[in-house]
Amino acid sequence: MTGEYRPTVALFYCQNIPQSSEDHRRVLEKKYGQSMRLFPIPCSGRLEPIHLLRALEEFAEAAYVVTCPEGACRYLEGNRRAMKRVQRTQDIISSIGLEKERVGIIIESSEAPEPLGQLAERLLERALKLAPSPVLKGAMTTKEHPSP
Amino acid sequence: MITAEQKPIQEIRDMISPYKKILVLGCNSCVAECAAGGEKETAMLASALRMAAKMNEEDVLIEEKAIERQCVKDFVILLDDIIDQYDAVLSLGCGAGVQAVGDMFYEVPVIPALNTEFLGETKEQGLWLENCLGCGDCMLYYFGGICPLARCSKQLLNGPCGGSMEGRCEVDPDMPCAWQMIIDRLSRFGALERLEQVYPPKDWSKKQGVGPRRIQREDQQR
Ligand code: SF4
Ligand code: SF4
Repeated sequence: MTGEYRPTVALFYCQNIPQSSEDHRRVLEKKYGQSMRLFPIPCSGRLEPIHLLRALEEFAEAAYVVTCPEGACRYLEGNRRAMKRVQRTQDIISSIGLEKERVGIIIESSEAPEPLGQLAERLLERALKLAPSPVLKGAMTTKEHPSP
Repeated sequence: MITAEQKPIQEIRDMISPYKKILVLGCNSCVAECAAGGEKETAMLASALRMAAKMNEEDVLIEEKAIERQCVKDFVILLDDIIDQYDAVLSLGCGAGVQAVGDMFYEVPVIPALNTEFLGETKEQGLWLENCLGCGDCMLYYFGGICPLARCSKQLLNGPCGGSMEGRCEVDPDMPCAWQMIIDRLSRFGALERLEQVYPPKDWSKKQGVGPRRIQREDQQR
């Protein structure tokens, strides 16, 4: 590995968390460039395993989900559902021999929720501990047919 | 509907290993309802297979698509203009779907990605129950709308057995006793006397033993 290894992190986050407005997002994107791809979601319950899988397949060394605190979801159960979907995704990637740590979930604490910027920094550090993804070493074509 | 579950990914990888261009084909009917083979699951499986291929430096093309029903020709035919691009189809249809696609495109191997299981009901989100065996001679009327063949562990037609306890089945106490349910339901209709007759052993000839079953309806034919 060279000294300049820079993992790309896909970060899906509930728009309910502190300092996660569009302005904040733009600032972070500027700061991190290609290393951080930010995906705001209206509720973490909307997240599907396919979102995480596609990120790992196409560009990310690691994909994380940040949800609002348990019990604080605007849509009641979104964060709980997100937890199950993350577990499912971990099972899928483990089944092909990819480390399950490449997918993770962070549930904000209700007392001291971390702002988005702080989370991004922390998760980037976490991703740095992972080896480069074996999925991203070769490039292949993918395409999807529109339904008839 | 027909229920199914995805096979282990390693088994799928082994089956597709001889092929270089694979169409992962979902079915948006029964197997979508049981979250095994619809558009979503098809996309997930295809993505996982592509990642596995990349990790192992296998040079394969894996693409995905879902059609409305794999068991009905009118839908399968829609693959006609893309099928030539592939040397195998990995089907997330039920066993009937896999075979219908194979029938239509005889030259292309069609590989099952799912294990087809039973005729089921979606009891709640994420829970499917087998409650009909497709016996070919429905007896639900006599049993208050609850099938003892599918839902009694011993398939008793003259139950309950001696082990029924507080409404639970002795074979698996997590399951309700089907016969308790039958009796409760018939009582609700005031139709308990339907149990006064002794039902002879089930005649399975309408299900199996006489070769493959078929339904032919002239009024439905073209
Ligand atoms: S008797 Fe039971 S197995 Fe037979 S058709 Fe009716 S529900 Fe299905
Ligand atoms: S306890 Fe009820 S469901 Fe279980 S085997 Fe006996 S009669 Fe059938």
